[in-house]
Amino acid sequence: MLQHLFKLIWNKKKQNFLLIIEMLISFIVMFAVFTLVVYFYQNYNRPMGFEYENVWTTRYDNPAGMSDTDSVTEFRASLKQLVKAMPQVAEVAFSNVNTPFSDATIGGGINHGKIQARTNLYSADDAYRDVLGIQLKAGRWFSKDDMGAREKPVVINESLKQELFGNDNPIGKTVNDHDRVVGVVSDMKDEGDFTGRKNAVFSRVDTSNQLWGGVMLIKVKPTADADFEGRLYKALSGAIQNKSIEISHLDKLRTGKNQRLLTGVIIILIVAGFLVVNVALGLFGVLWYNINKRKSEIGLRRAVGASGAAISKQLIGEAMVLATLALIIGTFFAIQFPLMNVFNLATNTYLIALALAITFIYLLVIICALYPGRQAAAIFPAVALHEE
Amino acid sequence: MLKNYFKIAIAVLKRRKFFTFISLFGISFTLTIVIVVAALTDHVLSAGYPDTARDRELFVTRMKYKGSKSGSDISAGPSFYFFEHYVSKLKTPEKLALISHNYATSTYINNKKMVTQLSYTNDQFWDVLQYQFLEGKPYTKQEIDNAEKVAVISESTRNNYFGNGVAAVGKYIETDNIQYRITGVVKNVPLSREYFYADMFAPYTLSKEDIHNTDLIGDYTGVLLLHSKDDIDKMKTEYNQMVAKIPMLSKDLDLRFTYADSYLEAFTRGLPFGNGADSGIGKFILIISIFFLLFLSLPTLNLVNINISRIMDRYSEIGVRKAFGASSKTLVYQFIVENLIITFIGCLIGIMLSFIIIQVFNRSNIIPDMELSINFRVLLFSLFACLVFGFLSGVFPAWRMSRMQVVSALKAQ
Repeated sequence: MLQHLFKLIWNKKKQNFLLIIEMLISFIVMFAVFTLVVYFYQNYNRPMGFEYENVWTTRYDNPAGMSDTDSVTEFRASLKQLVKAMPQVAEVAFSNVNTPFSDATIGGGINHGKIQARTNLYSADDAYRDVLGIQLKAGRWFSKDDMGAREKPVVINESLKQELFGNDNPIGKTVNDHDRVVGVVSDMKDEGDFTGRKNAVFSRVDTSNQLWGGVMLIKVKPTADADFEGRLYKALSGAIQNKSIEISHLDKLRTGKNQRLLTGVIIILIVAGFLVVNVALGLFGVLWYNINKRKSEIGLRRAVGASGAAISKQLIGEAMVLATLALIIGTFFAIQFPLMNVFNLATNTYLIALALAITFIYLLVIICALYPGRQAAAIFPAVALHEE
Repeated sequence: MLKNYFKIAIAVLKRRKFFTFISLFGISFTLTIVIVVAALTDHVLSAGYPDTARDRELFVTRMKYKGSKSGSDISAGPSFYFFEHYVSKLKTPEKLALISHNYATSTYINNKKMVTQLSYTNDQFWDVLQYQFLEGKPYTKQEIDNAEKVAVISESTRNNYFGNGVAAVGKYIETDNIQYRITGVVKNVPLSREYFYADMFAPYTLSKEDIHNTDLIGDYTGVLLLHSKDDIDKMKTEYNQMVAKIPMLSKDLDLRFTYADSYLEAFTRGLPFGNGADSGIGKFILIISIFFLLFLSLPTLNLVNINISRIMDRYSEIGVRKAFGASSKTLVYQFIVENLIITFIGCLIGIMLSFIIIQVFNRSNIIPDMELSINFRVLLFSLFACLVFGFLSGVFPAWRMSRMQVVSALKAQ
């Protein structure tokens, strides 16, 4: 049966060639779209890894001309004191510009022995984990005892732990030849709900390694309102002369970030949707036309005893074989993405997308062939043969 | 002759309504997307309020240090110091406009937060950029030198702060705990004019950042206005000579990159395509073209398939015409013209659809004050795209048809 279908297709190879190319390109488009959707969906399903509610951020900078370690330390301590003294403030932490949802990233390399990895670099102080509610998976967070430690303490996240240490216990191990891992925290989706897995290394904010300004994270109590924000703003403007103060709320930044990404995805989906409708109509038209052309052939088959269902099955089968040919070529190209690790996505993202794209194309072809197939099944042999 | 083709094309369209629908749907939707994207690109990349003299302007938007050994680099806007000490000494430009990046400043009134995007400018900024003053006038050089607390605000800032249409000149506005006297109100600029958008403009002497800081990296953008567009090459040469004379920052960061660019060059340099002296325009256009062709390939293939079916439908007609002596060339020509006619009908529908989409977009205020329009350039481009599309989808089926054997074509009847 299958052999027979192949023969039928081969006899019309010229006509079918373009159809196959069209299915092939549709498949590649759908594979790309599904990869995107699956990737974002998988990310969306992972936990945030930290709490963004009631956390505010603002930039800060040292007063003009201040550059020695002691006076910067003192300045930061008094700034922290000032903010923490306000009744609606729960906790204050200093960090660098790459706070959650901020658009800024700081990247770098890290190694453990011979294993190299790319990672995001974060500066955090002792209160950073409490402000953002990051979950500790192993070891400990920074504390006062780390001040002046001989080996710089660092905390890494789970993704990086997996990449550098596999299933070994990373606590106490050395990275970058002279830093010591003291803790492991859960992954943070700090670039929005759809962020993929990113490596992270936290190092302790210390006036010896960060003399310049950065960002202050302020955890406020739920009672904090715009009125309080106004007072906080006045107080900060008084204390930080050298920088325009802008208080941002992490939950609003998150919404903005998600919206921007979703807008892009929705535009892509709309365009892809139109392309699919276009292709579906085209396939439908061509199949329908082909069947009309083959009226006499079908009539002859009916006359020698084929049932309507058999005819309809044959036509759908032919379309499926065409689709299969296109999918085999398409899969060959698609499978290169996980094999060559093109965009650094997880293999199972590609595989799910591949399965979805294949199913989608088959469904599309079946739906497009269904009506013409039924029509062909309804052909009366007498009428069809009479035309000849 | 053309009139005949037109009649035939219409007759064919009427005969198989379903195929006509598929063709027109494919053509019009594809062109709608092309036109909307073209309108968006045109808006972002071409001159418009307040930046109207773009053909004789060069932009200085970036300062990059790079270490030739370490490979590390720092990139940001040039600093005010850089413009004042180096760029303003150049002889070719007529004027130099300077504007800082936006600073978000806040005011809290009546338990409400108002965020104002504040940019600092020099006095020539108001000569180079043609902001439309609804009332008042820009601040003067005198006021800047005296560091007077004056500001020009946008229409929407005025409406938010003082109420709709209330005159604001001479009144005071407070933000960042500073009271500014308003000297003028300008028409809103859309966010898409990234260098020139701000809710409020103030003299650079009021900036909190230290303007005497001798670092070359900062957060200013400079616009060099030339006497005529013929000066562009001269200006670029002079600029590069000036850059070569700037002392080195440090041993680690021994390379400097900063250029006087046309708007498009400055735009592509900001994307990952630009590298060193190459602004990346070539790569940018190449990638856009590849994307465009890939996007067009699917609807084109679809149309080719439909067209082949249509032609097969007219087997007998073609056979008869061939038998009576029509050459293959004539038939190919006829079919391509027919296809172009269909494409143009689809194109008209596409233009109407994109007109509706653009109206909806403008009304929706997704990007405030951004007014997209289908202007002459965009229309010309869409007609071109339409021509390419119609030609591509017509050539292959026509070629197939022309190779048809007369005998088999007639026998099919």
